[in-house]
Amino acid sequence: MAAASRTPSRWGEIALLCAICLFCVFPFYWMVTTSLKTQVVALQSPPAWLFTPTLQNYIDVLVEDRMGFALMNSMIVSVSTTALAVCLGCPAAYALARFEFRGKTDLWFWFITNRFVSPVVLAFPVFMIARETGLRDTHIALILMYLTFTLPIVIWICTDQFRSIPYDLDEAAQLEGASQWRIFRSICLPLAMPGVAVSAILSFIFAWNELLFAYILAPKAAKTAPAMAVTFMEGYSVPYGKIMATSTLIVIPVLIFALLASKHLVRGLTMGAVK
Amino acid sequence: MSTRVNRRTLLAFLGPSVFALLAVGVVPLAYAVWKSFYYFNLTKLSRSEFIGLDNYATVLTSGAFWGAMGRTAMLFITAVPIQIAIGLCIALVLHRPGLTLFKTLTRLALVLPMATTYAVVGLLAQVMMNQKYGVFNQMFGWIGIDPINIIGDPTNAFIGVVFWDIWQWTPFVALVLLAGLTTVPPEIEEAARLETKSNWIVLRHVQLPFLIPSLVAVLILRTADTLKLFDMPFTMTRGGPGNATEFIAVLIERIGNRQFDIGLAAAHAIIMLAITVVLARIYISLFYKDVR
Amino acid sequence: MRLNTKASVIALAATSVLGAGSAWADAHAWSLEKAAEPYAGTEVNLLFLDRPGYAAALEMIPEFEEKTGIKINTTTVPYENALGEQVRDFVAGGDIDIALIDLVWIGNFAENDWIVPISKFTGNADLADPELDMEDFFPLTLNAFGGWDGEIYGLPFDNYSGLMFYNSCMLKEAGFDGPPETWQELMDDYGPALTKDGKYAFALQSKRNETQSADSFARMLWPFGGSFLNAEFRSNLNSEESQTGLKFRQDLMKYMPEGIVAWDHAETVNGLAQGDIGIITEWSSFYSTLVSPETSTLGDCLAVAAEPAGPAGRKPALGGFSLAVASQADDAEQAAGYLFIQWVTSKANAERYVRAGGVSARQSVYEDPAIREEFKFVPALVESWQEGVPEFRPRFAEWPEITEIVQEWGTKMMLGEVSTEDGATEIGKRMEAVLDQAGYYGGDKPLAQ
Repeated sequence: MAAASRTPSRWGEIALLCAICLFCVFPFYWMVTTSLKTQVVALQSPPAWLFTPTLQNYIDVLVEDRMGFALMNSMIVSVSTTALAVCLGCPAAYALARFEFRGKTDLWFWFITNRFVSPVVLAFPVFMIARETGLRDTHIALILMYLTFTLPIVIWICTDQFRSIPYDLDEAAQLEGASQWRIFRSICLPLAMPGVAVSAILSFIFAWNELLFAYILAPKAAKTAPAMAVTFMEGYSVPYGKIMATSTLIVIPVLIFALLASKHLVRGLTMGAVK
Repeated sequence: MSTRVNRRTLLAFLGPSVFALLAVGVVPLAYAVWKSFYYFNLTKLSRSEFIGLDNYATVLTSGAFWGAMGRTAMLFITAVPIQIAIGLCIALVLHRPGLTLFKTLTRLALVLPMATTYAVVGLLAQVMMNQKYGVFNQMFGWIGIDPINIIGDPTNAFIGVVFWDIWQWTPFVALVLLAGLTTVPPEIEEAARLETKSNWIVLRHVQLPFLIPSLVAVLILRTADTLKLFDMPFTMTRGGPGNATEFIAVLIERIGNRQFDIGLAAAHAIIMLAITVVLARIYISLFYKDVR
Repeated sequence: MRLNTKASVIALAATSVLGAGSAWADAHAWSLEKAAEPYAGTEVNLLFLDRPGYAAALEMIPEFEEKTGIKINTTTVPYENALGEQVRDFVAGGDIDIALIDLVWIGNFAENDWIVPISKFTGNADLADPELDMEDFFPLTLNAFGGWDGEIYGLPFDNYSGLMFYNSCMLKEAGFDGPPETWQELMDDYGPALTKDGKYAFALQSKRNETQSADSFARMLWPFGGSFLNAEFRSNLNSEESQTGLKFRQDLMKYMPEGIVAWDHAETVNGLAQGDIGIITEWSSFYSTLVSPETSTLGDCLAVAAEPAGPAGRKPALGGFSLAVASQADDAEQAAGYLFIQWVTSKANAERYVRAGGVSARQSVYEDPAIREEFKFVPALVESWQEGVPEFRPRFAEWPEITEIVQEWGTKMMLGEVSTEDGATEIGKRMEAVLDQAGYYGGDKPLAQ
């Protein structure tokens, strides 16, 4: 067990904490340093720890390989799907938390079951549908498909959040004759903002990281950053530096968001199950 | 504590999201069910034909599906216990009072792995686990182990996937369990600690009951994510060598995207979905039994 | 837009590709600039790979664009995605105007009418360059890379033969004056002599993708007299010859690095380039990687020869890509696309393409003594293309399904998870099921590969 006694050696604990940090951070360190290596240095055996860094890989992937374009696509898609999921999901979450109607539990089950559906189940049918509707390789196709996982996140977290708001507020407003929509908009939604924000950040992260839909539905014009990363897996040459530069560019935005939301991340990821 | 509302209000609040999920979730699913009864190959569209349950028979008898399911289950039963064991240790350390700055930093560090784009984890694995240029083998060299061929050997490649799964998700487990530990009322824990010096007894009899919800949550989510696991093995090994790391989602992608047999891929997907939904239902009702 | 090409195929089939002489009567007036005039501003989309032949073409494209006003948009994808991206694009009626066709995809593309026979354009005096000279292409490459069922669809663009690249210094040190002539010599003499001190005599790229089936599995079938299919289209993998080849591959693995089943081209070429491997059999296009000081330490030690022979003769690996006009392109895009294909594969541009790192399929360019002198791979290449087997891998529409089977079980064989016999039986059974499904055994389909 980690904590062996009530009066522990603080040094042991510090060492343990440092080991945990190192375990988590080292791959990042390696990713970033490799991205600063030329191909010759990256192919040194054993690997070099000290070298002259170069930004050439970043210039290459941003200029030649249109990584900036892919990052922009990722941003457009992730932000739009998040906004849409919040707009659609918050009223639904409010209804699930506050209204009484038949089949409520089943509906809630159905919403969250979507969290468990693998994209690989939907990807091929959606490709065929997108082909018929002309939505292939558009941002819209990805934005809509990402709702399959962003909407359950928003509904799940926000339902919990709305439940935690005291019901007295609703009752007081009802006595004054406010409509349900008004109560939702003006009273409950502002109070639920922390939950909404967390669910939005998580939706963004999931959408940003998604690969399979992007890879099948958006080959070119709407190609996202993770799909671009797969492009470098050519058997002919393995440009380690470029691969890691691409990876770094993909990971940085999510990291910023994740660190911003780090306090609420757990609650979000477990769909509010653990408070 | 809930309000009765008229149909119109209900529809206004719930309608848009129900409609949206029907359109993006259920319609494609219905399409998949329909196509799963057909021989439907993208490169042979002119020869599409209704073949009844043949695709399902192929799935259930071919061995590839069960092999992939077996590997997926194997990944779950090797990775998740380790994630829980290490995660619990980390959570217990972080739960102890003192060293606030260190612990805040550690908590931030724990966020990094789980936010990393899954496809990038696979690329990182390729770079770091390369037999010749990889830093892993360099480190093995420091402790006197000969270079290991990680990605090229079936067993080692599987262990490699397990390793990265542990790297990415142990922090998550740790943070979930830490959240669970904070639900233990401090006075109960204090009282217990006056009774005994053994941390094990405190954990077993005081903290564990409060951790059960967290543990169930971990199991639910790890099950779902293991069944979905695609990006990391795809970018790391593409299912190889042989089919050592061909998990269920990787197999289905291969059938749909490289053999172009959409009908057969759909049949695979539907069977997998049935398994997923059953598991999800069991888990959710198990977990939310108390809540409701 | 999808044009009905069936009609034009039939109409133009009579006009033999090589003999459309009458259409070229007023050829003296032809120039690229003039031919392209109506299509200025047209955009042509196609996929490229990240390989030397494409880098060479990318260097040349600006000149074409300047001369014609046609815009060539290339998207670089990995080989492993190129088939899927194109199939999905054609099925969905996307924007690809020129198909990039690996020789094993041509049956598939042609039978789906995704590509237009070249005769549609070569018969059009406004488009056809009088200097086209189809006979100048190595016949093997033109027929195998660009032809299907008696019709030519594409012109050979990125062309490969399997060649033997070796480290002549390493061989000399071990007392060999030259490379092995036969596979048996490689096994008996070179293998034991060169495999020592962490270095290996040979590396056979065998990763579970097209590399496994094309570079590894098929490479060991043909020289030993084996093949995928017999004349009745039944599996020939359990024949004595095929089994000899597959067993030979297993035995040869003792002179290869560990984990060879995870090695793709990059690892193999790099192994030779870094001096860790003595001999490799790789595609001709890697010559430029192996001579460039940026990617190789070999310098003058690099030498090239034709692949070793087996009991059935020298049957080097054959691979390569042609470019063909996609039928989903509209008329202007088709014409502009054809002009680009014709230009980039032309006799006049062949030398430039070779000097920029590409491998041309034009016979004339390799007759130039300066080229023969400067590019060490040329004699071996020319020799290999005289003897190649067009159906080295069957080119019919079913290959994408069959290659998956071969990749899976071929890798399992190498890993020792199944014996060569059981693996071959398994591949045979599955391969025949695919062919049966396709209607080859019911007499519905000609036995073409």
